[in-house]
Amino acid sequence: MSRVVVTGLGAVSACGLGADVLIDATQAGRSGVKPIHFDDLDAQRVKTAACLSEADLGEVLGEKPHRMREPVAEYALAAAREAVAQAGLTEEYFGDRCGVSIGSGFGGGQTLNINYLKLGREGSMRLDPMSVPKIMNNAAASWVSMEFGATGPALCLATACSSGSQSIGMGYQMIASGQVDRCLAGGSEACLESGVFRVWELLRVMTAEQNRPFSKDRNGMILGEGAGVLVLESLESAKARGATILCELVGFGTNSDAGDLLRPDPKRAAACMRMALKSAGMTPADIGYVNAHGTGTVANDVNEVTALRDVFGPALDGLDVSATKPIHGHALGAAGALEMIVAIGALRRQSVPPTINFTEVDPKIDLNPVANVAKPKPLEAVMSNSLAFGGINATLIAKAYAPS
Amino acid sequence: MSTNRETLTKELIELVAQEGMVEPSEITPERPLEELDIQSADFVMILMAIEEKYGAYVSVDNELTDVVTVQDLLNLAISKIEAHQAAEA
Repeated sequence: MSRVVVTGLGAVSACGLGADVLIDATQAGRSGVKPIHFDDLDAQRVKTAACLSEADLGEVLGEKPHRMREPVAEYALAAAREAVAQAGLTEEYFGDRCGVSIGSGFGGGQTLNINYLKLGREGSMRLDPMSVPKIMNNAAASWVSMEFGATGPALCLATACSSGSQSIGMGYQMIASGQVDRCLAGGSEACLESGVFRVWELLRVMTAEQNRPFSKDRNGMILGEGAGVLVLESLESAKARGATILCELVGFGTNSDAGDLLRPDPKRAAACMRMALKSAGMTPADIGYVNAHGTGTVANDVNEVTALRDVFGPALDGLDVSATKPIHGHALGAAGALEMIVAIGALRRQSVPPTINFTEVDPKIDLNPVANVAKPKPLEAVMSNSLAFGGINATLIAKAYAPS
Repeated sequence: MSTNRETLTKELIELVAQEGMVEPSEITPERPLEELDIQSADFVMILMAIEEKYGAYVSVDNELTDVVTVQDLLNLAISKIEAHQAAEA
């Protein structure tokens, strides 16, 4: 098995453009949540989301939007370009030995929404003729492969909120097994569209106030968008080209509840974390920080803390856990990738980002997360969880790179 | 206020019966919702109907997890509707 390292990071999020911008915001506890308004919705109940600013959106989409690309593909491309530039990858490093693994929960939400509205309101037959290639879920992965000439395997996992984490995990496995030398891996999501937003309102898991994971007064999540892409490489090939190594990706676990579509199972989330620890050859005591899935819905918070307690035992009280979703929002298919970048940021800066908006420990779960202000501390290894609808769990573990 | 609340309670019981697909006569305040076979999917329908009728948005949050009986649900709905009406006024 090859060791797998991270040599590049790229992010597009409500916090701004760039992985460092995202890490800065999470460390400073600066939220990208903004007012959002949909003209199409007669009565919009939830009025905020972690959406891109107009300026950032303009920069990513360009003056004249690409006729064949949805925002979901443009976000992924922007994140991938940043990660590739940081890694210093040039043309000769792509080809068949480079894979792409970029997931999305929804795919091209904008085109789908525009088409439905036009068809429903006007009965128009004149819809966007490029709809199919724009909407298809793998468009982002395919555009990234074309941009760089990465002709190895291209995957697009659509596993809701675990898409990003599982995609990174698949990239990790492809490299570890020797199938490829490197992989552009992550997730992208851009579904802050009127129809999509309304159905999230109807599921009633969004808060109409503030997102407060693990807090006694929590009452739901806040939607986000964006993309996160990591350049993963085998240690050997990164060393051979003299790359700067940001950290080592050491553990990946994924499983399913095979239980309920919406109600999570803490036993399965715990098993997933144990699987990641086992693949990393680590014990729970080796983990210094957990970036929780931490959506701020009662179902997730109770489930995840029960699972964490199962895995970490009484030591959970001394473990630093935080949820950064109040800062970058719940970016669904991009969430796991953005949060892995945040966790790697914590490792690189030796500082745990806070759970902002936290007011009071919830006696129901009794978890005291790193609240409101970042906590500097020595970190050797970090874990990031994604626990998706559909009962799909994924856990990633990264550690500081030490040449052996 | 008390007349308003009585009317509201009556309307809400009808709404719970309709959305939960149970006979209104079966619904009494002290009965557990589970006994009436009203489950989480029905909750979402009931909350959607409350939003349509009264404009109040109730997320599936902490408060809702403490709801056991019909009366618990009515209390929560009434408090949210009254809070919404006060905010609109």
